[in-house]
Amino acid sequence: MSSLTNEQFDRMLTAAAKHPAMREENLRLREGSGLALAGVFLSIGALGLVFTIAGAFVLNARHALAAFEVGLFTVTALSLGGLFWTMVLHLTNAGWSATVRRQLENLMMMLPWCLVGALIVLILEIANGGIMLSWLGIDPHTDHLLEHKSPYLNPGFLVIRFVIYAVVWMFLATSFWRWSKAQDQTGDRWLTAKARRLSAPGLILFALTTAFFAFDFLMGTDHRFFSTMWGVYYFASAALGGMAALMIITSVLRGMGYLTGLVTSEHAHDVGKLVFGFTVFWAYITFSQYFLIWYSNIPEESAWFVNRSQDGWQNLGAVLILGHFIVPFLVLLFRDVKRNPIGASIAAGWLILMIIADMVWILRPMVYLGDLKAQNPGPAGWWLDIAGIAAAVGLWGGLLIHRIRSGVLVPLKDPRLGEALKHQNWV
Amino acid sequence: MAITDYFPMLSGLLPKQLRPPAPRYATPSGSPVAGLVAEFGDVSSVCRAGESVRDAGYTKWDLHSPFPIHGAEQVMGMKRTKLPLAVGVIGLSAAGLGWLMQWWMSINYPIVVQGKPPHAWQPFVPIIFESGVLISAFAALIGMLSLNGLPRPHHPLFNHEPFLDASNDRFFIYIEALDPKFDPQKTRDLLTKGGASRVDLVEDL
Repeated sequence: MSSLTNEQFDRMLTAAAKHPAMREENLRLREGSGLALAGVFLSIGALGLVFTIAGAFVLNARHALAAFEVGLFTVTALSLGGLFWTMVLHLTNAGWSATVRRQLENLMMMLPWCLVGALIVLILEIANGGIMLSWLGIDPHTDHLLEHKSPYLNPGFLVIRFVIYAVVWMFLATSFWRWSKAQDQTGDRWLTAKARRLSAPGLILFALTTAFFAFDFLMGTDHRFFSTMWGVYYFASAALGGMAALMIITSVLRGMGYLTGLVTSEHAHDVGKLVFGFTVFWAYITFSQYFLIWYSNIPEESAWFVNRSQDGWQNLGAVLILGHFIVPFLVLLFRDVKRNPIGASIAAGWLILMIIADMVWILRPMVYLGDLKAQNPGPAGWWLDIAGIAAAVGLWGGLLIHRIRSGVLVPLKDPRLGEALKHQNWV
Repeated sequence: MAITDYFPMLSGLLPKQLRPPAPRYATPSGSPVAGLVAEFGDVSSVCRAGESVRDAGYTKWDLHSPFPIHGAEQVMGMKRTKLPLAVGVIGLSAAGLGWLMQWWMSINYPIVVQGKPPHAWQPFVPIIFESGVLISAFAALIGMLSLNGLPRPHHPLFNHEPFLDASNDRFFIYIEALDPKFDPQKTRDLLTKGGASRVDLVEDL
């Protein structure tokens, strides 16, 4: 890229801009298109939120918050996946990805909303002395383990950590977004070089903040439990969910008649390969975490799995093994599935559903444990689960669709656009 | 691919049906004709000639290049390989066998480690996974070699001096005399018309 003179580079940009696929009606949604879909998602989200809040008062506040958190941490994972893949594709200078990157950036720019959700959760937790984060309500002097962990597990430091995650994610997301939008106007190729330079330290910051975010909000629901694999566990959902969401977004846009020639089955094939790869990755690290805890059999670690192998939770575990790994593995093995927008979208949608099931597996058993069983509303309260998940997923989805429809669908003057336009897998 | 391709001395021992067909053409000196080889100077001309050979309906021919040409499969009209399906079936069977092996071992020689039950599925998983991966890799490698007819220590083209440039800067199309459409004159005309800088007869040993 840098070996080109400015004249050569401008000629390249002009050639890409003249490509028949780069016509305006292929790049921008028609006026009002997608508005109805965004409205449906937002109304489902709003309705879900109303029912969640009502459920918090009528049934049980812990259950309501847990249900909302399942949805919230799923969509946060998907948004973090957008940030992760934007950085990875910049860092590896992936030419094929230029035409799909804007949709990953849209996912990434949902992080501010996720942070708003997490902030509300945090305020509720601290104001109520611990709802899901039960350690907030325990005096460290009465709990030996908590006393040893209190230099880390204390409300002040928790708030400081949350501020750090928020600052890092906002800084990374807005930087990449700003540069990408500026390049649409100016065609300045050095913005791509800048984005690549930030991606390297950005990925280190991403890894640390994602891991600690998962420690604080997911692993922290049981202060006795610890797993060094936990950060990777949540990251696996993020990387998988980001690519699965990208697969659905691009397939829907292609089905609506946009991105013709910009995102082809060749791009879908590559996205599908990454979805497949991270399905295996999730299974690999999830089993590794379970396997080591099972073998070492340390009480405070294995309790987490013991809780989830009784009271019917073992069935959810079986669903995860089968639905989150074995079935998608066998389906996505086939090349034709990855290249077919409908087949691949169904697989991707199923995997996002399984990420939700994974969050249910992590969060929900915590509110059914021990003395809390008495407050368990039972199957009569399952509508609250659906409402909580619908609230987060609906609001997030509606805002995302609004974001997609109000902007241009691909980066217009990316230096790698020419390469992406003629991308072929050759196998 | 017959076994006599590798071990010509065996052909006398084999039943008639398995012996390679007798050469249809011979040079004036009496040696059998292996095929015709055409030389090209650049990628686009060899691809154009390759397309005309494909469209003429030849099946036993090959395209040689010093480097991989993107799209050569389409030029040659090659179908996608069935190898992935074979590797998948073999890999899943091997994973199943890995499981059976451990199940059988834990019955015949039960060892209690750390108080874990002898039939616990958890420690089986890494070995099921590893046996599946290992045998899949072997199946992929061996399957690729045998579907390509490799290793092949000798080929009639090796006698053809100019063909050595196939590893340097020349491109070749080689049509075997065993191809049902092969005809000494018509095939030569097709290759010449396709833009070959030279077309040579390749003799067998």
